[in-house]
Amino acid sequence: MNENNPVPPMIPPADRPTPPPVPPLATPPLAGNRPLGDDPAERVAIPHAFAAIEALLRHPRRLMFQLRQPGSGKLIGGMLFVALACAAVYGVVAGTFSGHEQLWAAPVKIAAGLFISATICLPSLYIFTCLSGSQARLAEVCGLLAGLLMLMTILLVGFAPVAWIFSQSTSSIAWMGFLHLVFWFVAMLFGVRFMQNGFAHTNAKSHAGLNVWVIIFLLVAVQMTTALRPILGRSDTFFPTEKQFFLAHWADCLKQQDGENNARGRN
Amino acid sequence: MIAVVVGAGSYGAVMGSWRDPWQAVYTGIKLPLVMLLTTAGNGLLNGMLAPLLGLNLTFRQSFTMVLISFAVTSIVLGALSPVAWFIVYNTPPLAAGTTIKSPEYAVLQLTLAVFVALAGVIGNVRLLPLLRQWSGSARAGLHVLLAWLAVNLFMGSQISWVLRPFIWEANKPVAFIGSDCFQGSFFETVFNAVCRITFG
Repeated sequence: MNENNPVPPMIPPADRPTPPPVPPLATPPLAGNRPLGDDPAERVAIPHAFAAIEALLRHPRRLMFQLRQPGSGKLIGGMLFVALACAAVYGVVAGTFSGHEQLWAAPVKIAAGLFISATICLPSLYIFTCLSGSQARLAEVCGLLAGLLMLMTILLVGFAPVAWIFSQSTSSIAWMGFLHLVFWFVAMLFGVRFMQNGFAHTNAKSHAGLNVWVIIFLLVAVQMTTALRPILGRSDTFFPTEKQFFLAHWADCLKQQDGENNARGRN
Repeated sequence: MIAVVVGAGSYGAVMGSWRDPWQAVYTGIKLPLVMLLTTAGNGLLNGMLAPLLGLNLTFRQSFTMVLISFAVTSIVLGALSPVAWFIVYNTPPLAAGTTIKSPEYAVLQLTLAVFVALAGVIGNVRLLPLLRQWSGSARAGLHVLLAWLAVNLFMGSQISWVLRPFIWEANKPVAFIGSDCFQGSFFETVFNAVCRITFG
């Protein structure tokens, strides 16, 4: 039958112009790569905190997938515990610069400061990501924030030997403060990258909201170091007696350092 | 590790021999120590940076990779030791009138530092293809190498600062580590020097 009635080939008429491609109705989500969980290895549960560290460093997609699953609260709790422990370890190293009471005060201040900053910024993170079109639940946002904190603090532990050797060598608070800020900034860059990758899988259509939040978090955390000062030097009181913005505090530190250098030069 | 101890040790001994046989022994121990301490001190950080930058290495593998780079550097330094010895031999010997500003000290310092820099570049260049092959991406390999290079230079400079002197220290007896080893830092000193030059 087919031989008798061959289907004529479809030949487009030459005079009809090709219609332009129709643009998509909505902006596509950022995650152009494969969906989370398509690799069976990503579906393997994360049983404990050490596995979470391993997953965060080597298989972040596995962690992102597990954070989306029901009952991820235990995993988030474990991640926060690791972040707390690592922040305390780094704090002890920072405290060795001054010694004495700073050996316990610096870890307490660093760990508490980081967690208070994260708590203060959590509502804005949720709102900004929602405004970016993200479908992430609050638990998932908490999980990604916990991932940011954990990655930051484990990287800070990696920087700890470098920080320690400089702490033992220099007596300049300004220099050590600058060094800690550089380490903190590098660690935060990696943490933010993890977070951006995580949000890209939540149908977020833009990174703008997240980028604004990163600036807010950065400013809050830096101000927290001033609000909880001194973290590096010594003081008679645990908390500062005077309120100051971080830029003014840094300027004071530099002036003090300059004065010390001049005095040393005169001697 | 044997390559590091023998290669860097022999070069260190040549560096120190300008001043005193004991300085040669000390520098022969200290130069390999700088490399090994840098590798150990940054082991954790290097192991974290590699997977984060796209190269899925274990801590042990990243540690070995960095050690390989230092081993290559040390082998090159070991090979340059006879040349360095020849330069030291031809440098006017240390005398009572020698100061930090003396030209012979400056030439020796500069030449020996150039050799170390050259060996370091070769060590890292040799590591790059290995990292690229392992990661399967030229970009990831380069990123890991640059990150390792940055943190190792940062840590290595300060360890060298703590373990100074390597060649000579004016008005001080020969000692394994200088009395002011934990005073100041390498980068602070460089920064202050730049400030002095720029602002007077």
